[in-house]
Amino acid sequence: MSALDLSLREQAAAIAAGDADPAELLDAALARIEERNPAINAVVETFPERSREMLAAAPEGPLRGVPVVIKDEWPLPWRAQRFGAADMLAPAEPGESGPYRALRDAGAVIVGVANMHELGAGSTGNVSVYGPARNPWNTERCPGGSSSGPAAAVAARLVAGAVGADGLGSVRFPAGYCGLTGLKPTFGRSTLAGHHAAPVTETIVSGPLCADAADCRLLASVLFGEELAAGDAAGLRIGVVRSPVSEDVAPEVREACETAIEALRAETGGEVREIELPDLEPATMAGILIINAEMMNGVTPAKLNDIDPGLSAINKGFVKYRMLMPAAAIVQAKRIRALMRRRLAAIFERVDVIAWPTLPAVAPPLEAPLVELPSGTHTADQANVRGGALANLTGIPGINVPVGLSEGLPVGLQLQGAWGGDELLLDAAEALERANGRRWVEALSPLAQAEPTGV
Amino acid sequence: MEASDRADEFIPSGLASLGIEADEVDMAVMKAAHQMFWPGILGLISADLGDVAPEHDPDLSKAP
Repeated sequence: MSALDLSLREQAAAIAAGDADPAELLDAALARIEERNPAINAVVETFPERSREMLAAAPEGPLRGVPVVIKDEWPLPWRAQRFGAADMLAPAEPGESGPYRALRDAGAVIVGVANMHELGAGSTGNVSVYGPARNPWNTERCPGGSSSGPAAAVAARLVAGAVGADGLGSVRFPAGYCGLTGLKPTFGRSTLAGHHAAPVTETIVSGPLCADAADCRLLASVLFGEELAAGDAAGLRIGVVRSPVSEDVAPEVREACETAIEALRAETGGEVREIELPDLEPATMAGILIINAEMMNGVTPAKLNDIDPGLSAINKGFVKYRMLMPAAAIVQAKRIRALMRRRLAAIFERVDVIAWPTLPAVAPPLEAPLVELPSGTHTADQANVRGGALANLTGIPGINVPVGLSEGLPVGLQLQGAWGGDELLLDAAEALERANGRRWVEALSPLAQAEPTGV
Repeated sequence: MEASDRADEFIPSGLASLGIEADEVDMAVMKAAHQMFWPGILGLISADLGDVAPEHDPDLSKAP
């Protein structure tokens, strides 16, 4: 087995102990990308010399010498982000983004930039200036978005850790579709420096995607700039909501999530409490409106009349529609946000986490990202956003935990916690892993099981 | 009036008032987006939230 197949923490430990050579690990990662990436288009650019320079200068940090990839949403000193688009509608320059600095200071080695859904405006990953990323579990299926490349890269074991960003579910959705653990941190806890929307956003966060919660804890600690201590989640009070977000889901997803919730309850010696959380539908709309308004920061009608023709037809039209979204709705959206934040604060007096399916169905086909739900056929984006928006609207953290397979594709459970409760979510995710005998976090995608050819 | 009919009026007049140019493909995308989003936007605007106190400059990293 290649050291590349070890977990993120095991790679770091092996290097620190002198049991693995970080230069060999870097070469292995680059070779693995060359070998497996053509099937999934997860990594859109490598820069071996820059990576070797990072390794040569790597300090004795918690990730010294460990290869990782970073989403095309974050500037690097040698490369401006493209936001998955021919035209990101905002200035982009090379620079030291917060995630870059955090990784560098931890000793990590960035081996590549990962694909993403164009403009971050989709939960599927099938639209990108680089071409669609593909799901390592089935390359005809969507990897999820918008952090499509980070998820596909880790699920194919090109690397053991990736940094994404989450504005309406963009870490949790691809983690769900690709069978990974993905954390959307509490707003403001992880570094956002250098993101083009950083001056205006109230929704976007950087976040880690890894195979399991322990690796996510390590990478999140780097992004947070503080060590996230481990606990045991004993006596966990799990809140479940009776609403379309947990009920209008494919039967096999619902069954896997209900089984996982019961397993988590049993593992922690906790309890499941039914909770009321009305107005999820307007809250979802509020989240959509707020992030769409944020994405129009600095965009003028003149800019919209001069869009690069390389932008996809769907986003070329959609960004113009954003201009027509009424300001009055934004005011109402912020009132709904206030209402939901107060309700959540009261709910988190009674429960520690809220659990619902991360996604209502498994990864849909790339060619037609539609999902069949009890309520009918929906676009994946329309159905997915219901489970993702609340955390970004209100600032609370959320995590996807793999809890099963259906049709050979991963199913994920989302746990959401109170503000600052990121550590508890990781504790709960680890408890759920234990309850499942780590079956789902150790399950490998077919691409990750491919026989290495000299790597 | 159906959402699609409203889109036929709302989108061209809105774009014209902002001086934004759009071709047929843009218009088709915007019409689809309007059908998807407008009911929710309208619902939000129409909601009686007068008794919901707004949060001034909220710290979204913390509970309200």
